[in-house]
Amino acid sequence: MTFNPLEQRGIPLDKQLRSWRELDVEPVDPDHSDPYTKCRIITMNGIEIEALLFSHNFARICPDMEVKHKLAEIRYLEQQQQKVVNWLLPGSSSPLETTISYEQVAVDLTAWVARMEPDPYLTQCYEFGVLEDFDHLYRYANLYEMLQHRKAEKIVDQLTEVIPGRPTRYHHRNPIDNVRKPYDRSAAAPISKLHALTILSAEQQTMNFYLNVGPQYMEPIARQLYQEIAMVEEEHVTHYESLLDPGETWWERLVNHEYNECYLYYSFMEQESDRKVKAIWELHLNMELEHLHAACDLMRQHDGRDPAEVLAPELPNVLTFEPNKAYLRELLDTQIDLTTLGTGFVSEAHERFQKMQDAVMGGEDPASDRVIDEHNSVFGTDYRIETEGPHPRPELRQGATSKA
Amino acid sequence: MTTTQAAETDGVDAAHDVVEFLIGQHMQIRDLFTEVEKSTGKARRDAFERLVRLLAVHETAEEQLIHPLVRTGVHGGGDIVDDRLSEEREAKEMLVKLEDVGPDSNQFPLLLAKLRASVLTHAHNEEAYEFRYLRREVAASELQPLVSMVRAAEAMAPTHPHPGVESATANTVVGPVVSLFDRTKDMVRASMSTNR
Repeated sequence: MTFNPLEQRGIPLDKQLRSWRELDVEPVDPDHSDPYTKCRIITMNGIEIEALLFSHNFARICPDMEVKHKLAEIRYLEQQQQKVVNWLLPGSSSPLETTISYEQVAVDLTAWVARMEPDPYLTQCYEFGVLEDFDHLYRYANLYEMLQHRKAEKIVDQLTEVIPGRPTRYHHRNPIDNVRKPYDRSAAAPISKLHALTILSAEQQTMNFYLNVGPQYMEPIARQLYQEIAMVEEEHVTHYESLLDPGETWWERLVNHEYNECYLYYSFMEQESDRKVKAIWELHLNMELEHLHAACDLMRQHDGRDPAEVLAPELPNVLTFEPNKAYLRELLDTQIDLTTLGTGFVSEAHERFQKMQDAVMGGEDPASDRVIDEHNSVFGTDYRIETEGPHPRPELRQGATSKA
Repeated sequence: MTTTQAAETDGVDAAHDVVEFLIGQHMQIRDLFTEVEKSTGKARRDAFERLVRLLAVHETAEEQLIHPLVRTGVHGGGDIVDDRLSEEREAKEMLVKLEDVGPDSNQFPLLLAKLRASVLTHAHNEEAYEFRYLRREVAASELQPLVSMVRAAEAMAPTHPHPGVESATANTVVGPVVSLFDRTKDMVRASMSTNR
C-alpha cells in the first residue's frame, strides 16, 4: 500500500460543485445488487453525515469568519456527497429492508474493525457491541417475515448469519455504564482513531434512521421494536463516542474526519463490484483529498502543528466488507453473557444493571422478545439463517426457548 | 447450509388481512422476476408461466376487490385508483409484448427488465399510496374476509402449474395474456358472489 492522501492532490475545491442533474444518481437495484454494495453505501452515508454535523458543531463555536467560510464551503460540498451516496439506495426498498442492511453493516463492519484493531481495550469494546447488533439483525429479520412475508436471506444473502446474539432485552443498561474510557490521543495508533470514528459514525446514523422511520410503521410490534432498538442505538453512540480522546483539538478532529473519508472512499473504491458505484467512490475520493488538504492548512495555521504528527504515514490496510462468521461464532461462544460496569466489562447482572432492567421492562416482556414469540405463533418457529451449523450456545438453539 | 424457514408456510399463508396477503404476493412477484432472469430454457419458461399467472391473479384481485374499496373509502381514492390502473395498463401491454417474443427470444431479457421495473414501481406505489390509507380508513372487519375471496380465485387460476397437465389443460388457462386476465376476472367475480 503506497497511497498517501497527504501527498496526493484531488479536484480543486472550486471545481467540485455539482448541478442538480449530477446529483440525480440512478439507485442500485433492490434485488440484484451485492449486499455489500448496499453496506458500503450505508456506511459512507453515515460517514458523510458525521462529517457535516461535526462541521456544523465546529462552526457554532468558531469566532473566525474566514474559518467559518471555509467550513461552510466544504460542508456544502459534503452535503452534496451525502445526497449522492444515500440516493443510491432504491426507493422501492421498504424502511425495514434498509434496516436489515443497516444491521448487516453494523455486524460485518464492527466485526472487521474488532479483528483489525491493535488496542486490546478498544477491541473489547467492538466485540462487546457487535454481539448486540448481531441480535438486532435477528429480531428485525423475524419482523420482516411477519410484515412482508419475505425472508431476510433475500437481503443479506448468506454472507451474514441470522441467529440470536446477546439478547436485546439485556442491552438496556444504566446510562453511566455506557461510558467507556477514551484512547490517549498521543499514544493511540492512527488506525485506532479511524476505527473509532468509523464505528461511531455508523452507529449514529443507525440511531437517527431508527428514530425517524420507526413511527412510519402502523403495526404495533414494529413501532415498539424500532423504539426499543433505537434506545439501544443511543447506548451504542454513547459507548463509541466515549472512546475518542476529548483532548483532541477541533483542528485535529477536523483533519481526522477528512482523513477517514479518504481512507474509506479509497477502501471501497478498491473492492466495489458495481461499476457505477465504484465511479462515485473514486470521484468522492478525489474530492476528499482536497477537503483533507484544506483541513490540514487550517490545522497548521490555527493549531501550530503539522498534521503529519497525528496522521498515519500512509493509508492503512483497506477496510473490507467480508463475512466474519467464524469470528462471530467465537464471540457468541465466549462473550454473550457480558455486560458493562463503569468503563469495564463483567459477566454478572450487578445491582445497577438489574435496577435499570426492572425499571424499563415494567414487569412485561420487551418488543424484542415478543417479536420472536409472535413469529413463533404464526410460523411455528423463529426465522434464522444458520450457514455454519446450530448456534454455538445450546440455550440459544432453535426451539430451546422462546426467549432466545 | 440450513436456512431455517417457516416450515410448511410459504409466507402468504400466514396473512391475516388482505393487505398483508397482497404485500406477500408482491414479494413473491419480486422473487419470481429474479428466478426468471436467472434461469434458462425450460426452467425459465416454467418460471415465466408462474410469474404471468401470479400477476394475473394478483392484479385482477386488486382491480375487483381493492380498488372499489379505495375509491369509496379513501379521500381522493378515485384519483389514486386511476393512477394505479394506468400503471397496470402499461404493465399489461409490456406483458403482451413479452409473451409475443417468448422466453427464448433475444429481446426477452430487455423487455423483462422493463416489465420488472414497471411492476416493482407499481407495487411500491400501491403499498405507499393505496394500502397504507386503506388500512387507516377501512375497518379491519371489511379487509379480513377479502383474503378468502382472493384465495378462492387463486385456487381456480392456479399460480403453480400442476405436474402432468402442462399440455391441454394448462394452455387453456395460460393462453395469451389478455385471455388469462379475462378468465381470472371471471373467476374472481364468481368467487365474490359465492363468498359475499
